[in-house]
Amino acid sequence: MKNSISQIKKALIEKKISVGELYDEYLAKAKSNNNNSFNLVIDKENNISSINDSQSRYDNGNPLPLDGIPLGIKDLFCTKGIRTTASSKILSNFTPNYESFVTQQLLNDGSIFIGKNNCDEFAMGSSNETSYFGPVINPWKNKNSQKDNLVPGGSSGGSAAAVAEGSCVASMGTDTGGSIRQPASLCGIVGLKPTFGSCSRWGIVAFASSLDQAGPLTNCVEDAAYILNSINKHDFNDSTSSNHQREDYLIDINNSIEKKIKIGIPSDYLEDVSEDILNQIDNTKKALSKHGIEFVDVKFKTTEYALSTYYILAPAEASSNLARYDGIRYGVREEGESLDDIYLNSRTKGFGDEVTRRILIGAYVLSAGYYDAYYRQAQKVRRLIKNDFQRILNEVDFILTPTTPNEAFKIGDKLDPISMYKNDIYTVPTSLAGLPGISIPSGLSKNGLPLGVQFIGNYFEEKTLLQLAALAEKELSFNE
Amino acid sequence: MSDIDIKRISYLAKLKLPLEKEEFYSNSLKDIIKWVDNLKKVDTSRTEPLHNVTKKTVSIRNDEVSKSNSVDDVLSNAPERAQNFFKVPKVVE
Repeated sequence: MKNSISQIKKALIEKKISVGELYDEYLAKAKSNNNNSFNLVIDKENNISSINDSQSRYDNGNPLPLDGIPLGIKDLFCTKGIRTTASSKILSNFTPNYESFVTQQLLNDGSIFIGKNNCDEFAMGSSNETSYFGPVINPWKNKNSQKDNLVPGGSSGGSAAAVAEGSCVASMGTDTGGSIRQPASLCGIVGLKPTFGSCSRWGIVAFASSLDQAGPLTNCVEDAAYILNSINKHDFNDSTSSNHQREDYLIDINNSIEKKIKIGIPSDYLEDVSEDILNQIDNTKKALSKHGIEFVDVKFKTTEYALSTYYILAPAEASSNLARYDGIRYGVREEGESLDDIYLNSRTKGFGDEVTRRILIGAYVLSAGYYDAYYRQAQKVRRLIKNDFQRILNEVDFILTPTTPNEAFKIGDKLDPISMYKNDIYTVPTSLAGLPGISIPSGLSKNGLPLGVQFIGNYFEEKTLLQLAALAEKELSFNE
Repeated sequence: MSDIDIKRISYLAKLKLPLEKEEFYSNSLKDIIKWVDNLKKVDTSRTEPLHNVTKKTVSIRNDEVSKSNSVDDVLSNAPERAQNFFKVPKVVE
């Protein structure tokens, strides 16, 4: 069992370990892992002043909420003075001069960054195979074919693998259509996507701005609450940052929710799923029923349209967001005789296949003659999807779904993009609605691989969502 | 669905696809556009497009000048610079 943030802080307070020793321990794992989970690892001497400052706060008896905790950061967050690549060739030489809002909050709370986690290029992928720096390997093995290297999921695949292999205590990820929850599920850890607008997008390399949201990948639900407390703040630099009153997500995490809980299980999500996946839902239902939680069947009317809507809107937004990469102001420039040649060559050589594909889809659905039929229609269907969730969340407090339709698959197994896109069938609808979702490990497949379930809550109700997830976690915990 | 003119789309996206890859992307795009075509059967005649999922995001701040990003900071990642400028090939004769 890996140590939680509160256990580590206790050891630091009781002087059983120093901040420097703790860093050494995780650094050794980060450096020796063979899973390619980091694009960059930060040596101790480059963090020495943060380590010393943190230790003196412990020595003085006033540690900060995340003091000394070694965190991984998805290589999509701009980190001041630390190379930030989005796992793309075009940004492979980019060192930001500013810190993203979210990572600044984590630094303000005393955490120490151990490195930048590998991810899919520009967060576009569900298996971490699109990274310019090569695929990430899932630390878990199929017990019936031990030699196979499996995908960790994506796009926060390096984050998920790093937490699962124990080379950081937790990692910051981003989720556009499932990029935190899906890899968390395939690596047997916890992944939280907060409500859209909770955590500022400022300083995160943009993919699809109406969907992107930062969130933690952690060993346990309590750790997710620790991180959420730090990062969930209003920011004037993000025009979609919500200015609602934030709660303390940690303080009551182990208390039961005060009212009677009703959870909906969408029967349409469970048509044609494997026995392994059905078992996760059944086990969760049994475990929580013991606590007086009621389960009812619910049925969405829009599920069959969710992926289509997403694969129009996300590429459309990506194609505009990625227009900024032109080889002029930052990033890798390819030679060309004219300015136009520089643009064309830098972009064509700088982007990988999947990113190119999505830029092309985006350009197509936004182009004259197709805009109304695709982009505008998708925005309208998005409203219907949101309304569908609101209808169901008027009947129930939470929704329970599988996180993924399958266990981790072999690297190189899914070559066809559409079959890859279908991995996100349970996470994409929540993203389109902007609702918070958390994936927690729920059990093992017949092949001994981790699977997860997803709880979806109402807007900005992360507090009760985390309480429910913490309760389910206690009941469902399994040993590796 | 009409045919996809991959040359036009890549022109719009400022990409110069190598000839041998044009067919690959063209076929891929066709498959995906066919796959998302099911949206056309949804009746949205009385539905407004959704741009922003939450409403709690209207925040107004005072318009005060603050200092961030010095010229050197901004230019530090430039592939080519000359004095305080980004450098590019000549664009006017």
